[in-house]
Order: sequence, then structure tokens, then C-alpha cells
Amino acid sequence: MTDPHHPEPDPLAHPEVRQASLGGYVLGYALTVALLGVGLFGTRSHSLPPEPLLVALSILAVFLLLAQAMTFFGLNFSRYHVWKTVSLVLTVPLFILSIGLTVWMFHALDTVTMMPEMPGMSIQPTTLQ
Amino acid sequence: MDAGPNFDGKLPPLWHYGETEYDLISTKTLGFWLYMLSDALIFAGLFASYGVLDHNMNAAGGPVAAQVVHPVAAFGQTVAVLSSVLAYSLATVALKTGNKAGVMLGIVVALVFAAIFLVLEFADFQTLFAMGATPERSGYLAAFYILVATHGLHMMFGMLWMLVLLPQIWRSGFNTDVVTRMLNLRLFWQFQASVWVCVYVFVYLRDSIQ
Amino acid sequence: MLVHLQGPWSPLFGRLTLASIPYANPIIIFAFAFSAIAGIAIVAPVLYYRKAGYIFREWICSVDHKKIGVMYIILGLVMMFRGFVDGMMIRTQQVTADGPASPGFLEAQHGYLPPSHFDQIYSSHGTLMILFAATPILTGLGNIIVPLQIGARDMAFPTMNAISLWLTTMGAMLIMASLFIGDFSDAGWVGLIPLTELPYSPSVGVDYWMWAIQISSVGTTLNAINIIATVIGMRAPGMRWDRLPIFTWTTLSTNIIGLTAFPVLGVALALLGADRYLGTHFYTGGMGGNLMLYTDLFWIWGHPEVYFLVLPAFGILSEVIPTFSEKPLFGYITMVAATFAIAGISWSVWLHHFFTMGAGPWVNTFFSVATMLVGIPTGVKVFNWIFTMYRGRITYTTPMLWSVAAILLLLIGGITGVMLANPAINYTVHNSVFVIAHFHCMVLLIVFAAFAAVIYWFPKVFGFKLDEAAGKRFFWFFSLGTCTVFIAMFALGFEGETRRLDYLYDPDWMPMLVIEEFGIAFYCIACFYFFKMLFVSIRDREHNRCGADPWGTARTLEWMTHSPVPFYNFAVTPHVNALDELAWRRAHGYADVVPGRYEPIHMPKNTMVPIIIGVMSFAFGFGMVWRIWWMAGLGLLGIIAMVILRSFTPDAGYTLSADDMRRLEAEASRHGIVPDTHAPLPLAEERLV
Repeated sequence: MTDPHHPEPDPLAHPEVRQASLGGYVLGYALTVALLGVGLFGTRSHSLPPEPLLVALSILAVFLLLAQAMTFFGLNFSRYHVWKTVSLVLTVPLFILSIGLTVWMFHALDTVTMMPEMPGMSIQPTTLQ
Repeated sequence: MDAGPNFDGKLPPLWHYGETEYDLISTKTLGFWLYMLSDALIFAGLFASYGVLDHNMNAAGGPVAAQVVHPVAAFGQTVAVLSSVLAYSLATVALKTGNKAGVMLGIVVALVFAAIFLVLEFADFQTLFAMGATPERSGYLAAFYILVATHGLHMMFGMLWMLVLLPQIWRSGFNTDVVTRMLNLRLFWQFQASVWVCVYVFVYLRDSIQ
Repeated sequence: MLVHLQGPWSPLFGRLTLASIPYANPIIIFAFAFSAIAGIAIVAPVLYYRKAGYIFREWICSVDHKKIGVMYIILGLVMMFRGFVDGMMIRTQQVTADGPASPGFLEAQHGYLPPSHFDQIYSSHGTLMILFAATPILTGLGNIIVPLQIGARDMAFPTMNAISLWLTTMGAMLIMASLFIGDFSDAGWVGLIPLTELPYSPSVGVDYWMWAIQISSVGTTLNAINIIATVIGMRAPGMRWDRLPIFTWTTLSTNIIGLTAFPVLGVALALLGADRYLGTHFYTGGMGGNLMLYTDLFWIWGHPEVYFLVLPAFGILSEVIPTFSEKPLFGYITMVAATFAIAGISWSVWLHHFFTMGAGPWVNTFFSVATMLVGIPTGVKVFNWIFTMYRGRITYTTPMLWSVAAILLLLIGGITGVMLANPAINYTVHNSVFVIAHFHCMVLLIVFAAFAAVIYWFPKVFGFKLDEAAGKRFFWFFSLGTCTVFIAMFALGFEGETRRLDYLYDPDWMPMLVIEEFGIAFYCIACFYFFKMLFVSIRDREHNRCGADPWGTARTLEWMTHSPVPFYNFAVTPHVNALDELAWRRAHGYADVVPGRYEPIHMPKNTMVPIIIGVMSFAFGFGMVWRIWWMAGLGLLGIIAMVILRSFTPDAGYTLSADDMRRLEAEASRHGIVPDTHAPLPLAEERLV
């Protein structure tokens, strides 16, 4: 809301505008493309067995997300970013809980209720009507 | 900050005079950030659904995950979306000096790369449709499409936002409203890159592991 | 179209035909007549006194958080009344349809409601009560009180606040429309899969339910953003985190839950929508779908949702009890910590709604332990309220009565909840009315707290107190009704009565059912006293005018404003020196100090954009329900267009000069009521009106 009695401060002087950094953005870009390329290469070349590969990919994703949080979003605990950081830190566990507990409960459910799949067996109908 | 001229200076401050210290830009970007967190939870729900439906039995005898995800082709999409995010981020670097032409150029380049991303995504979908992998084919495919398409829908809304922002920058220059919108769009756009990292790793890469 | 729709479809009207109007159903005809008469009773005086323009400009276009809050509460109370009528119909059907010898009236074989109609009634009862009665009332209270408690002039995003209100209202209007055009969902308020899939629910009922919830969920999420941003960014100077009033703390944590949980509901319903509209197989029994996925996603939202409702109720109790015990709240820090502990743990307990899914002992144990853990911070709160009352000077005003009764209900509901948290017990009472009795104790404690809040803060908002005598009778009959209905229901749960039955097969249940029907009679009497309370209070309002602190013993910042609160809240932003600022000022003798001078203040302008977005969202929802694609498309495009258009027209607000402030404050002190200045619409819109 513009108020004629109180001229606004120059919006371009706001810290969130000033935080834009060429180096940071290029770094975030390069890291993301490079590491995802590494992940792609690792997957195609079958360099690791599936389980450890999955763990490595997960670590890669988490690292990239942290890197983006710092280079792109510029999150830190300064006065202008603290609430964004705090709210993100409080939200991430919810993200992990909802996906993680869901996957766990359905995995447990399948173990308890589903018949083991044999070759040539089809559980679901394959054609519609 | 005083209690008014009627009282001596011994009262504690009871009323606040002077400039309001509310930082409107920070309040608006915080509000938008909170919206992005709710958006993150939408993706959490979609990833959870994908995690549940990402089994061979959910393919109902149709195309399975390994046949449907094309990580090499999707790497092109990765480069496109990251380039778009970089272009827009560089536009906000130009914003620091109030460089209208630089900002608008950055936004246009971001639009182009976003369009490339969507074209590549549609082309991938066309390939999948051709092999019978439509969303109604099976539960797994439904989960795959809705996750990827929700991200694509966000990209489309971001592009619309950029198209609306361009004439506003042209007309009004960098007033508080326009700058706030640019900052919010930066949050939105960079968030799309983060979501894409998750989609690429946990859908395209994970499901292509044999 | 990718799905097979039963019945006709035309491009112009979609699935809507004349046959969609249930003109042959006498109950619906009666409901229509009643609603029409009620509607005319409200609209006719407005037109007669030529207040339509005023209502449109000052209320419907308002961005004032207090007016928006009042409208939320009115919406909630009206929907609660309709939900109560639904509840009454459920109870009456069950008491008349008990046993094979029970008679059948109208078109029913037993009782007076055929099964599909009965199913629609309990579905709408649940949906309305939770999402369109309790949620709006609590949201409205937060809207009114939080900015006042933190010393702000309005919320962080006033226009978005109004948009939230109208989105919620349009969701409720969709459900009202379902009563007269088409039918409503018969799959419960939860929307049980696979019943909600198109082949099993081919009519528009489930679509009404789905879109009403989706549209109002957007409103709730936007409101959550608003509250959180307001509490973080708009506090008065000196309002440090350790001085924040407890109701603001609980509203903050509630909205953190709202912000994070409602999107998952959106996903759950969107996937159902994809199944119903696009023919996908997310939740189908075959073709690779997973039936339990819906239940999982729904309850990821559903459990935090009940804490979204109960935490503001706890906040209300924490405000009312100290005021009427004339003592500060016991254990402020532990109360805040308990609030956030409840909010946090509530995110990891949702499987307790479907222990019987069969995920195995490890999964069930984890969620059972987490559920029981939630009881610990809740217990901390109960003890803190009791310790607040202990050795206080207690006055049993109506709000205090409601609050103490709420604590008693919390005990019963909470203990039965801990029982249900145990999977072994849960397996035997799952889906029985024991569960219904448990959660009704909980939602009724929320309702009790809501009534306490409405009566407590009514004088602040409207400038006169509600009649105590009628209010107390309302309380006693409502409490009597609650105990009668639900204690009998616990017993029936143990006797094996399952939920959602339109016909009860065991005549041995008749005594309990009759007791429950007496409970309904008590509720009806309570309803009479509620209306009497309103009527008498409004009639005698000049007699009951009050000042800034009507109860005499209030402690927090909002009681420093005039009653009713002027549209600008505080003439000069207060500087906060302590927790319970008003109590501190009173103790140090500063309670009567007024500002020595005034400064210009800046206020947002009213605007038509929110109501237009609301109407567009109704068009979108109605169009999607009836598959009138052009209407849905126009509605959606209209919303997007309004947002874009609004971004091109900056809202400069308007300024009140120091002289204006002095004049307005002088009138407030003289009359106790500050007249609304004509809050002008933005220039672009003014040309249109």
C-alpha cells in the first residue's frame, strides 16, 4: 500500500533484491546439472548394485536440495531469511513423514496381505472391459 | 516512541509513534514462501501416491516403470528447466542495478527455456501414448502422469506469470509491487527446479534401475 | 469424455435436467420451504430499509478482518444449524427403525428415510459440521481476535482474507445447492473408497461433496498463510514472542497445521476427481489401483485436521479461564510448548483411523504409541487450566460455564481416545458408535469452546453483552443434550451397534435409542434458548451497552480497544510491555492512559475482487459438478483473469489524518460506538458501481 505521507523506501535497496548473486546462481546451476548427470551416468552404467545405487542417488538429491537452498534461495538465519529457514526446517519432517510412513505402511501391508508373485502369474486383469 | 506530550518522561512507553516498521516486501515474500511450503506438501502427497503405486502389480499388465521412464531424454528437460531458472535468476541480478532491458531479456530467455522444457515433456508423453502408456491404462501410469504433469502445470503458470510481468515492468518500472512480484516469482521458479530434482532422481533415475 | 456417465449429457446443461430437482420428495420440499422463508425473512428487511447498497459496500466488499470474521461466524452458525437438523434426522430415523417390527413411513421400509437419503444426511452432517460449521467459526474468531491481540491494524493480506471467506462460503453454497438440485454424496463425510468411484456413485452427489471441499480448502490454506504472516510480521512494538497471548499462539500453530495438511487433502480429492472425470485408476479395485491409498492420503490430512479444530478451542479455554478466575494462566511456557508438541506429534498418528487395514503389528504399534503420546501434552493443558482456576476468584459467567464443561468433555473424549489408540481395543470397536461417541465428545468440546468464545468476545465486537439468563439456559440444555445422547451412545457402541445404519436390527437397543432421542429434545430446547438469547440481547442492546472491558477482569491487548472495535482497531499502535498487557497496565495504574496525540494512519480500501472471485469459484464448482464444461471453464478463467487484472491496478488504500483520528476517537469515547467511515472502493471499481 503506498502512503503519500510516508514515502516508501527504495524497493531495489531491499536485502532480498540485493541478495541476488551471479556466482551463487551459476554455482547452483552447474552443481545441479553436473550431479544429475553423474546420477544418470551411474544409473546407466550399472556401476553399483541397485540398493546402494538407490542410497547414493538419495544422498545426491538431498545434497542438491541443500545446495539449492543456499545458492538459489539464499536461506540463512539472518533477519530477512530466518522465518523462511525456520518454516522450511519445520516442513521438511512433515514431507518425510508423510511419504516415508506411507511407503512403510503399504510395504508392511503388502508383505502381510499380498501373495508372492510367481512368474507367469497375473494379479490384475490386463484388459479393460 | 513516547507516551505523548501530556506526561512526564517517567512513564514506560505505552504508545508507538513514528514510521511503521512493517517491512511490506518481506511480509509478502514470507507469505509467498508459506504458499510454496503448502505446494511442497502437494508434491509430498503426489510422491507418496507414486511410492505406493510404483510396483509392477500396479501396472496391470501394461507398461511398467522401467519402460516408461526415459532418463536420458529427461536429462534434456533437466537442462531446459535449470537453464530457465538460471536465466530468470540472472534477471534478478540485473534487477539490482535497475536495468530494465537486462531484466526483461532474462525473463524472455527464461520463457524460451521453459517452453523448450514443456515441448520436450509433451514429446515424451507422445512417445508414451504411442506405446499405449496412457493415464487410464493402470494405477502406476496414473501416478506417474499426475506427478510429472503437476510439475508441468506449475511451469505453465510460471510462464503465464512471466508474460504478465513483462508489460508491468515495461509500464511501471521497478516499483514496490513489481519488485515484490519478481521476488515471489523467483521463489516460485527456483522451487520448480528443486521439485524437478526430486522428480528426476526419484522417478526417472530410480525407476530406470534394472 | 473418458468416463461412462449414467444419464443424459448435453453441451449446454451438462448432466443437469429438470429431473435433477427432487420435487417429489416431501422432506426436501419442506427444507426448501423453510430455507426460502428464512431467506426472505433476511432479505426483505434489507430491501425494505434500503440497506442493500450498504451491505454490499461495507460488508460484502469489506477487507476488514473483523467484518470478515463476523461473516465467517455467521456462516458457521447457519451451517451448524443445518448440520444439527441433519443430526436430528439421523437420530429420529434410528429410533423409529429399530427392529424388524418397526414401521415404515413415507418411502422407507423402516423409519421414514430410505437408505440412500439417510446416507446423504449423515454424509452432509459430517461434512457440514466439521468443514463448514466448526472451521468457519474458529477461523472467524482467529480473524477477529489475532490482529487485535498483537496490536495490528489488519491482517497481512486483507484482500486475500476476503477471498478466503468467499471461497469457504461458496463451498457451503455448493452443499446447499445439492439439497435442491441433484443430490449429495452418500459415501460418508470421509468419502469411502470404492463407493465414491463413478460406477458405484454415478450421480452428482460425490462431485458436489468433492468440489465443495476442494474450493473451501483453498480458502483455508490462504487463510493459514495470512495468519502466519500476520503473527510473524505485524506484531506491535514490544510484542515479543514471550509476550504473545496464548490464543494467538494456538491460532499460529493451528494454521501451521492448516498450511501443511490441507494440500494433502487436495491431492486425495484430486486423484479421486481424476478417477471420476478422466477414468484413471488411482483408487480402483482393478487395473493397478490401490483402494487404501485414498484412506491413507485422506487421513494424512484428516488427523491434523482434528487438531486444526481443537487447538483454537484450547486457546479459547486458555483465554476465558484466566479472565474469570482473575488469575494469570498457569504455566504459559508449558502451554505453548504443549501446543506445538500436539501439533507436531499429530502429524505422525494418522493410521490410527485405519488400524484394521492390516498393516501388521509393527506399523500398528508405532502409530498407537504416537497417538498415546499426544495425550501427554493435552494432559499438561488440562492440569494448567485446573491450576489456573485453583485459588482464583471464579465467576461463573456463561463463557466460564461453557469452558469448564469443555474441560469435562475433554476428559471423557480424551480417555476414550486413548482407549481407541490401543489396536486391540480398536479392532473390537472400530466402525461402531463408540467411535462416534468419542469424536462427538471432542467436536462438542470444540463447539462448547466456540460458544464460550462467541459470548466472551461478542461485547467487544458489537458493543453490547448477550443476555446472561437465556445464555445460561442455552448452556444447560445443550450440555444435558450432549450428555444424554453420547453417554448412551458409548453404551450402544459396546453393545455392538455399527455406524451409519439406516435400519437397526436389534430391538434390545431401543431403551438407549429412546434416551438419545430425549437428548435431541434437550438440544431442540437449547436451540430455542439460543435464538431467545440473540433476540433478547439485540432487543435490549441499548440497555446492555458496555465499554472497553465489559467483563471487568480481562487481561489481553484486544480489551484495550473501544467496544465495538473501531474499523482501525487502535488509534495509536500500542507499545507492549508485558505478557497480559492490559492486566499489567491495570496493575501499574496505566489502564486509563490514552494517547496524547494522533498521527495519520493508512487503511486498505474495500474491493469487489474477492466476491467476484467467490462467484466465479461457485460457477467453476457448479460447472464441474454437472459437467457443464463451458461454465466451469469460464469460472476458472474468470478467477485467473481477476487475479491478473487486480495486479495491474495498485490498491493505494486511503489515509486518515490526525484530525480525523482525533474526531473519531472523541466520538468513540462519547457514544461508545465509532461510525464506519465510507471506505471508498478503488477508483476503477467505483466507476462500475
